[in-house]
Amino acid sequence: MMSRTPKASDGGPDADLQHVVRRRKLILGLLLLGLIGSVLLALLIGTLGPIGPGNPERISFGDAMGAIFNLPGDRPDYYNVIFWEVRIPRVLLAGLVGAALACAGTAMQAVFRNPMADPFIVGVSSGASLGAVIAGLSGIASVAVIGSFVSPALAFFTALVTVFVVYSLGNVRGKLYVDTLLLSGVAVAAFLGAIVSFLIYFRSQEYHRIIFWLLGSLSLASWTAVGVLAVAVSIGTVVVFLYSRDLNALLLGEETAHNLGSDPETVKTLMLVFAAVMTSAGVAFTGVIGFVGLIVPHMMRIVVGADHRILVPSATLTGAIFLILADALARSVIAPTELPVGIITALCGGPFFLYLLRRSRTGGET
Amino acid sequence: MELDLRGLSFSFGEKQVLRDVSFKVHPGEFLGLMGPNGSGKTTLLRCLMNFLPAGSESISVDGRPLDAFSPAELARTFAVVPQSSATDFSFTAYDIVMMGRIPHVSSRIAGTTKEDASAVRSAMERTDTWKFASRPFYGLSGGERQKVIVARALAQQSKALLLDEPTVYLDINGQFEVMDLIKRLNREEGTTVIAVLHDVNLAARYCSRIALLSHGMLEAIGPPKEVLTPEIIQSVYGVDVVVRRDPFTEAVYVVPHTISSLGHAHGTHAHLLCGGGTGGPIMKALVERGFSVSAGVLNVLDSDYENVQDLHLAVVAEAPFAPISEGAYAENMRFIEDSKVVIVSPFPVGPGNIRNLEAARAALRAGKLVMIVSPAPGKTIDFVGGKADAAVKDLISSGAIPVKDVHELVSKLPMEGTG
Ligand SMILES: Nc1ncnc2c1ncn2[C@@H]1O[C@H](COP(=O)(O)OP(=O)(O)OP(=O)(O)O)[C@@H](O)[C@H]1O
Ligand SMILES: [Mg+2]
Repeated sequence: MMSRTPKASDGGPDADLQHVVRRRKLILGLLLLGLIGSVLLALLIGTLGPIGPGNPERISFGDAMGAIFNLPGDRPDYYNVIFWEVRIPRVLLAGLVGAALACAGTAMQAVFRNPMADPFIVGVSSGASLGAVIAGLSGIASVAVIGSFVSPALAFFTALVTVFVVYSLGNVRGKLYVDTLLLSGVAVAAFLGAIVSFLIYFRSQEYHRIIFWLLGSLSLASWTAVGVLAVAVSIGTVVVFLYSRDLNALLLGEETAHNLGSDPETVKTLMLVFAAVMTSAGVAFTGVIGFVGLIVPHMMRIVVGADHRILVPSATLTGAIFLILADALARSVIAPTELPVGIITALCGGPFFLYLLRRSRTGGET
Repeated sequence: MELDLRGLSFSFGEKQVLRDVSFKVHPGEFLGLMGPNGSGKTTLLRCLMNFLPAGSESISVDGRPLDAFSPAELARTFAVVPQSSATDFSFTAYDIVMMGRIPHVSSRIAGTTKEDASAVRSAMERTDTWKFASRPFYGLSGGERQKVIVARALAQQSKALLLDEPTVYLDINGQFEVMDLIKRLNREEGTTVIAVLHDVNLAARYCSRIALLSHGMLEAIGPPKEVLTPEIIQSVYGVDVVVRRDPFTEAVYVVPHTISSLGHAHGTHAHLLCGGGTGGPIMKALVERGFSVSAGVLNVLDSDYENVQDLHLAVVAEAPFAPISEGAYAENMRFIEDSKVVIVSPFPVGPGNIRNLEAARAALRAGKLVMIVSPAPGKTIDFVGGKADAAVKDLISSGAIPVKDVHELVSKLPMEGTG
């Protein structure tokens, strides 16, 4: 934010504003580098290494690079499998889901004009949970090959149906009331959550699997998942970015947005649809990964300001970086056992969020 | 920009807020929109912006029905300055003004163009807000924020400005600054202005015409001179006013008369010895309760003299800054003889007006009822070295009734023929 750069204010507003433009470019550049760096780092972390426990053998740095970039060289064939079938899809999935959640969170915070909104606010997570639990309980999920398609597909479907129900509840005679939408989201989520608990209660052998899913994990990463998310995320983030001016206007209230030539009804609907599609696609493959969509937009707003033309890309990139690193941590803290990544994001995100909350209460900027 | 309203009506459900409003706004006009709270002014502006759907036939802009305008086109036609703007999000003042360029964006992919940047800059310089361009909007004062919003409206480069009480948060200086700026735009660039204004005098000073709404109906429309008459204001606002003409600007201005409806006029004569503005509340209270009030002796520039003028009361006047003369004293005594009750306000006593206390003493001797208003009985604002205090103590011991304030005064006053 401009006001947070005292060293630039000597030259008056002109210097300040130029400084802002340069600073925005710098931040985007750094985030891109950070993304590449964290992808590489996350690829190198894991059992067998090069960074990690490496029992009983350790992959050397050179061999790892060779495998990642498919260079000719003298190394065991399964190194290529480790990287190309396991780690690369997993790291890419982490990046894509992180980007999806952060971008969707940014859009939802603007639509609800509330920095506490997150991508799950309209019921995506509870809807997807229900689908996943049904798939698990009906036994479809454990059927070889098709199970790994049906379960996410069902979760995606129930998530979208839920969002549609919540959306219809918030829509009164063609006008979308965000406060009604918010309350409908809460009520529907509570209702579906009760059904999920009920189902799990009677089939306790599924308990572990479901809890793992509800906490979020990237262990089911596959190239299919990467492909689906790549499509959803690239369309979703581009749409959100193209509407960044409208999101700016929306933050000043719907009437002001209308007066500035934007069309708040269309913008709200588009944002809800694309955020829901991105989030549902992510949740379907990885379960519910909390806090990314809440914290990252919030944090980036402190760093770059509220202008969505910079906020949307920088939050999207930061979400990717954050989830890639969080997943690398989840894989390695108590290796070879793996933690659900949702635990890591909540452990990092919760205290950070409280810190932000305190800061904004004690006169800091949010 | 020519605006034509033909039979504009609007209801919120059952509640009809605008009833059959018809008028035209001509290009380059400065139209003031006035009316009591809840009379439908904001609703009318919202209908103009098509934020509230009023039906396509009733509003047309440059001959085209409002519904034919796209949102962006409408925002290039009208720029709105709302009553207040706030956001919790950390936009800078510059970001806020830049949003005025949204209706001019050629495509969603396009970045900020040179025209955008220069429109924003010139709008901010003209409103004197460029100096805090990089400060966060929510950290600005209410007045600074309002100027930033005016800057945003300028950056919008629309054909007309719609202002909804644009000066509510501004101090007197800020009010005139903003209104002068808008007037300049109106005059130099032919921007049509439609402004909701509550301040009658601000409206009279800036508007070329005033439209007066009452209960959603157009009560009157025309130049300030014709609309701001005591009769029309009485019928719309229910207050009595005096309309005067500013000797310098020739603009009309309006001062409130008195609230005449409180008491039954019984005409009991009360004479008030006052000065320095201390008599104002007493006069008002007496007039409201139906007394026939006179006052004296007052110097012509004394603020109580102005109070007397505003209320159209009888007064014994003395030349500015002159001590009370024999003639004035005698005339004052004639008023006292004629009155039922003599009231002494807690006026500051100096050598020039101490004779007003003498007059009170004379009134007591003549058997008049004398009441002394004073927060601390027996104490005065004494510029005559204790003589005034002594005189007031003497009055009280000779039978004058001390009262603490206006409230106690009216509760103890005798009223004839009231009921
Ligand atoms: N959204 C709404 N729903 C129902 N009634 C409304 C709504 N907005 C305004 N009204 C009613 O319409 C009437 C006109 O309101 P409006 O805001 O236009 O008045 P106004 O002239 O601008 O008043 P003020 O001087 O107080 O700003 C009021 O009686 C108000 O209560
Ligand atoms: Mg209003």
